[in-house]
Amino acid sequence: MFNKILIANRGEIALRVINACKELGAKTVAVYSEADRHTLPVRFADQAVCIGPPRAADSYLNIPRLISAAEITGADAIHPGYGFLAESASFAEVCEASGITFIGPGAGLIRLMGEKDRARREMAAAGLPVLPGSDGVVRTEEEAKAAAARIGYPVMVKAVAGGGGRGMRVVGSEAELPALLAAAQHEAGQTFGCADVYVEKFIARPRHIEFQVLGDKHGNLTHLGERDCSIQRRHQKLLEESPSPAVSEEVRQEMGQKVVAALRALGYNNAGTIEFLLDDEGNFFFIEMNTRIQVEHPVTEMVTGLDLVKKQILLAAGARLEMLVRPNLKLRGHALECRIVAEDPETFKPSAGRITTFNIPGGTGVRVDTAAHAEAVIPPYYDSLVAKLITQGKDRREAMARMARALEMFVIEGIHTSIPVHRQILADPDFLAGRYDTHFLDRFLRNHIPV
Amino acid sequence: MKRKAAAKGKGKPKGKPAGDSLIPFAQVQALVDLLEERGLEEFEMERAGVRIRIRRRGSLPAAPVFESYLPGAANSGPAPAAESRSAEAQAETAAEMGLLAEDVHVVKSPIVGTFYALPQPDALPFVKLGDAVEVGQVLCIIEAMKLMNEIEADVAGQVVRIYVENAQPVEYGEPLFAIRPGKKK
Repeated sequence: MFNKILIANRGEIALRVINACKELGAKTVAVYSEADRHTLPVRFADQAVCIGPPRAADSYLNIPRLISAAEITGADAIHPGYGFLAESASFAEVCEASGITFIGPGAGLIRLMGEKDRARREMAAAGLPVLPGSDGVVRTEEEAKAAAARIGYPVMVKAVAGGGGRGMRVVGSEAELPALLAAAQHEAGQTFGCADVYVEKFIARPRHIEFQVLGDKHGNLTHLGERDCSIQRRHQKLLEESPSPAVSEEVRQEMGQKVVAALRALGYNNAGTIEFLLDDEGNFFFIEMNTRIQVEHPVTEMVTGLDLVKKQILLAAGARLEMLVRPNLKLRGHALECRIVAEDPETFKPSAGRITTFNIPGGTGVRVDTAAHAEAVIPPYYDSLVAKLITQGKDRREAMARMARALEMFVIEGIHTSIPVHRQILADPDFLAGRYDTHFLDRFLRNHIPV
Repeated sequence: MKRKAAAKGKGKPKGKPAGDSLIPFAQVQALVDLLEERGLEEFEMERAGVRIRIRRRGSLPAAPVFESYLPGAANSGPAPAAESRSAEAQAETAAEMGLLAEDVHVVKSPIVGTFYALPQPDALPFVKLGDAVEVGQVLCIIEAMKLMNEIEADVAGQVVRIYVENAQPVEYGEPLFAIRPGKKK
């Protein structure tokens, strides 16, 4: 095991890692920018090193300063948390070259999963379904028709240079194709100066489903069930749950087996998350893999009873998986997580400032992961996450009832937060029935009177 | 850098009254007076082992809030016994405040690393207390990731304080030297 672990992060995840280290008996080193001098990770770590000015590029993203901090404190491992350098293959490499263990799967796997196209090809080769599409650019009607027929309607014609919904058309049948292809090509040319388009399977109501995995350095790997993260706004997740109301036990088994087989083949180790789109008919398509601990890891912890950050540390130290996770682990009950962010609930503008009142809800089945407190300052330099409110129940209904009452009791004053939006989601009939997809929040926000 | 001693031994619990030997009462009084005099709302100072924050609240300028704690002391746990402040350290604080009032220039560490006062183990230090230095003159070396970074004076003047010991680890922004600016001779 490690003697001393440096946490190359800030806020709630830095505190979360400190918790795990303390429980494992490892000493901790917090690093902080000048903006974070008076924060809880600095206070609760055994040692703290100021690494730079507030700008992340000069502090939390500055590899030489982090390595120097590890060297002067004698840390033998670095936990990167999430964000910042958590998925930087070069940081992992520099750590290894400096004789410091990077707590993660290693530079090679981080680099592979960071190159999205290569990751898709490798995962398809390893047996995971990927979203069917044309083999590159389609130029003529005939090429497009052939590709669409192979993929199956409906399909999406998308600009190669695309983004923001421009140069995109959903095509329901072959009869519609010629006109919509021409329209997409024209719009792409007008908008991006490049008329190249490709064809991809269209999923009308996709859900974002991700599987948590843990692997050791001896070739063993297991999955810990899925999380449903479909409640998102512009790809920012706002609420997550496990298990997903849309995944049956049969599908979980099937997907779990495919995930484990594919990642074992790659020699994946440590914690990771593999993300899929799920369509109405129960088909999964691989999107990408995250080679780090995720923000929403607590929902999996609540239904498995495992401390994932401790497992990460032990796995990085060389522990064998069978010592950490018992075989045939079953998910227990249900868990939800609301990401409370410092944003104006109407405009979603970031709301930095000093927190004046901070009342954390408690009671059975409620967990709050946060580094915030009354009088704490949310600085404008970093992401806007203030707290993660997690509830657990024997079933989804109980977890939701707990979440609703915990949101009522969570009082934050001095800054704007997303709590009012979360309260409304928890009162929405479609959400309560488990009927939602990745477009839910956009529809929901359009249909709701501003809070 | 903040090094925290493990909480052990018979330490003083956090939040003892100001007069309880951590910081002399007169010194606190001086700070309160300074606050009043300059019309400041809040004053905060952190030094090895001690942090002081004095703040005026609303219309009660006569009753400043005073806080002092040893970092590393958990909420309820005992404060570390090691590194408790000696009379000498307190005298230093007073001296430093005197210097601050004189408007000295403090050279701070621009990086995280290990401070070296000498170019080589058997050499003389780059500068000694009382030396006159020029802009661009090397004051010390900070080693980070096996690289030796020379730290230069950015003002001309006299070295009136050296804050760190040879081979001591330093963090970003840590004071290294105090220079009293003076005309170049």
